[in-house]
Amino acid sequence: MLAFLLRTAWKKLWTLFFVSVISFAVVYLAPGQPSQIDPLNPRFTPQQLERYRKAFGLDQPLPVQYARFYKQLLTGELRSFKDNQPVLGKIVERTLNSLPLFLVGTILVWCYAFPFGIATAVKRNTGFDRCTTVLVFALISIPGFYLAYLTIIFVVDTFQVDVIGLRTFGREDVGWLYGAMDRTWHLVLPSLLGAAAGIAVLSRYVRSQMLEVMSADYVRTARSKGLDENRVLYHHALRNGLLPFVTMLGLLIPGLIGGSVIFETIFAWPGIGRLGYEAILSRDYPVVIALNFVAAVLTLIGTLLSDLLYMLVDPRIRL
Amino acid sequence: MSAKTVLILAPTLVSLFLAQSYFWVPSFSDQVRGDPGRLTRYIESSIGDASILNPTLSADSASSEIAGLVFDGLIDRDMDLSYRGRLAESWRIFEEAYLLVDETQRLPDGGPVTAEALRRRLEAALAAGQPSLAAVERIEVEPGRELSERVEVKPADKGGPAKTVQLALRRPPRLKFTLREVDQDFFAKLDRLLDGYVGRIRPTRWLNPGLEPPLRERALELLAATEHNPVIMFQLRKGVRFHDGQEFDSRDVRFTYETIMDPRNLSPRVPDFEPIKSVETPGRHTVRVTYKRLFQPGFESWGMGMLPEHRLNPEALRAEARALGRDPDRFTARDSNFSRHPIGTGPFRFVEWRTDQYIRLARYDGHWDGPPNFREFLYRIIPDPLTTELTFYAGTTDEYAAQPHQVERLRDDPRFMQFSGLALGYTYIGYNMRRAPFQDERVRTALAMAINTQEIISYVLYGQAEPITGPFPKQTDFYDPTVRPLPHDPAGALRLLEEAGYRKNGEGWLEKDGKPLAFTLITNSGNEIRKAVMAIAQNAWRRLGIKVETLALEWAVFINERVNKADFDALVLGWSMGLDADIYQIFHSSQMGPFQLNFVGYRNPAADDLMVRIRQEYNRERQVAMARELHRLIAKDQPYTFLFVGKWTALYDRKITRQVRAPDGSLRYAAIVPTKLGSPKFHFNQWIKVPQPVGGPVHAAR
Repeated sequence: MLAFLLRTAWKKLWTLFFVSVISFAVVYLAPGQPSQIDPLNPRFTPQQLERYRKAFGLDQPLPVQYARFYKQLLTGELRSFKDNQPVLGKIVERTLNSLPLFLVGTILVWCYAFPFGIATAVKRNTGFDRCTTVLVFALISIPGFYLAYLTIIFVVDTFQVDVIGLRTFGREDVGWLYGAMDRTWHLVLPSLLGAAAGIAVLSRYVRSQMLEVMSADYVRTARSKGLDENRVLYHHALRNGLLPFVTMLGLLIPGLIGGSVIFETIFAWPGIGRLGYEAILSRDYPVVIALNFVAAVLTLIGTLLSDLLYMLVDPRIRL
Repeated sequence: MSAKTVLILAPTLVSLFLAQSYFWVPSFSDQVRGDPGRLTRYIESSIGDASILNPTLSADSASSEIAGLVFDGLIDRDMDLSYRGRLAESWRIFEEAYLLVDETQRLPDGGPVTAEALRRRLEAALAAGQPSLAAVERIEVEPGRELSERVEVKPADKGGPAKTVQLALRRPPRLKFTLREVDQDFFAKLDRLLDGYVGRIRPTRWLNPGLEPPLRERALELLAATEHNPVIMFQLRKGVRFHDGQEFDSRDVRFTYETIMDPRNLSPRVPDFEPIKSVETPGRHTVRVTYKRLFQPGFESWGMGMLPEHRLNPEALRAEARALGRDPDRFTARDSNFSRHPIGTGPFRFVEWRTDQYIRLARYDGHWDGPPNFREFLYRIIPDPLTTELTFYAGTTDEYAAQPHQVERLRDDPRFMQFSGLALGYTYIGYNMRRAPFQDERVRTALAMAINTQEIISYVLYGQAEPITGPFPKQTDFYDPTVRPLPHDPAGALRLLEEAGYRKNGEGWLEKDGKPLAFTLITNSGNEIRKAVMAIAQNAWRRLGIKVETLALEWAVFINERVNKADFDALVLGWSMGLDADIYQIFHSSQMGPFQLNFVGYRNPAADDLMVRIRQEYNRERQVAMARELHRLIAKDQPYTFLFVGKWTALYDRKITRQVRAPDGSLRYAAIVPTKLGSPKFHFNQWIKVPQPVGGPVHAAR
């Protein structure tokens, strides 16, 4: 077990190194400049632009910049071009903001998708199945931002309440209960919208997985033992159909830092996804690359976790 | 409990909990009832966050807007766009001019040229009432002196470090004239008076011929035959205090200038202040600014916010660096916490800044011009325009950049009031005049005549724009309203092209000497209006028989690869302008190089001359006359097809009004009136929100 862990860690470190090189190269070689070095400011002289490049260390050879960059990142000294704040602090703060969205969304997706998927599998080719299939594919294929806009317009038009941001903006001298409920209300739309598509996708996986195992002998055996139908489905069938979801569960962890760029931007949610998006737009290299790196680390941890989870779910798998 | 029950019950409970929170939040109609403080809070929404709240270091509009509330400048513009004193109570502009004394020459009467002889001669003319010396107040002799300074020299091969070299030279005596007002033609008049003496001065005579080029250039600057030094004397307002209680005085003005010019601070405002020779403080409330050369647009830059010297001077910075454990020698104003916690003299003081969420300012009760009515100003960041609009309808935003079509939709809505005005700037099609066929003025004019600008304004901009004929902001005096726009006349355009030698070939395409008239029109992607203009222009030109390809490029590629390298045929682009008449960087022929802004390669000696004279002219009337002449010249040359200037629109809740104190001491409500530019926020300090809209222009306040 320990040997396995060490071996995996070694391999993953190499992967991480290559990811760091590639993400650094991609960001630096892409066209464009940090927005502080705006070549179109009519009163900027080339000398001043040069001075800025120097201050940001952009005039050095790429390998030097690479080494300096990751050294600063690992020692926590890396600062954003945009506001000169430490990058790691920013990432932590934004991740905490994204966390409630992520938690509510995950609970809704991972809880609803299973009963829903199982129900459609059990009732396959009935009217219920056909209707839900249409609904699910509609949810999958309608772009998230479009659905978000429609929902926001509907809610604001009908109820005339604020749905943007972490809380109702400018409402300050209110009690803690009002404050807490205000924050809860602002979670509703972004988390539901995010969850809707998630439930749709995941329930389709559950459905196909269940269809596969439901015809297996042990399910028939369980039924013939006279077990309760729910116990047959959720205990005997589902457990054997769970394997692919373990992989997806592992990938949830990097999803935390990826956040939801679209919903966070539309809802002005100061989360991690929006941090990355805005950093890319303003070519804030330190933030972009640091986010990339952290995401890579989390992805690798996620895959490691799912490897370990496999053992738990399927006793046949041994390392 | 079975797995199924848990899987269904858990998320359902979560959803129910989420849903009930609806009953706790305020809606548009009752948000005031739940939180009365909302009336004293003004909330403005912006797409982008500020970056740095030090007005000498920021370059983006969000930062400037916040800095405008936290800091005061020495001057600003009043309702009619004339200058008005803020931290400066008054000012006077005059000139000190220097003339080199060349003792090798002879005076017109044959006498030798000495400083004393010249002075006596000119004083006699002055006493005799010589009109060309009318502005002269005083003539003095500046004795010859040894000058010495260190000059940075870069090695010719660009490699290796730059070295500094000591430059030493002897400058002959000079005559110093003090002029009541700035006169860029003073030396020309003097030259006539002295029979060409000024024109015959050869400064190279005093130069060591072996000097290296950078030293030589600097030496020639020091030995200039003539030198104009405009001077601004500011009288500062007394008793103004910064938000921390310290009194504002002339040292703060000088310090602000020094902060900008300190190379370590990387201030983007250096070009505005670079023409300054010195900033002196003869008194606690007197500032004397001397310019190296004539540069009228420099005056506007004194509207910039003034920094508190006691917070950012070297000792304060060193103390801050030590407290933060940073290297004090490398710690600059840019690193200081001040950029995120600014302290100024403005009507609002800074409270807090949550990146990408909001910036909070609070009323400064000690403001010299009287405190604002709003207790708080909140600058809210919402990255998406549609979302911003919806927060406005939910009552959690008081101001946002309303789009023309949004305003149009709400024209008759009694809940809102709206203002609109012309923007400062315009959209144009620029032609690369280094390339065929654009060298030919007739071709450029024909291309312009083929385009129906009115159609673009009606269908692309929903009527929220006006046609423009030249390079100045349309609402300023510099814009010549007598210049008629080119008519939309495709037949006339075709005649012009035929005149220029183009004939239709068998396939209906225009060609000259067997070569078809073909080019590519480009713009940046992401701007739908420019893309629409591009399509309309392409269609109009194709109908004439011109083969036009179009291409929309990502912004960075568009600017770096095409515009900066002048690698394009024609492009659709826009400028946003200031209120001054300085368009030197956009149209002067010296600005045609890579990375410079005259990327179309416009070259006209008469226009060049006017552009230089305009930025040197301190007399408003003469400046306006020259600007109008330049406008006519450029409109005739058509380096651009000037298309339109957009309108900006502002939308406000009708519950916002002005609360003013009448002479008898009672509070009254007054209507919001826009300035000449159309901006309604001139009286922002008097604004307040009331529970219900008040009608009519003036009402008694409760």
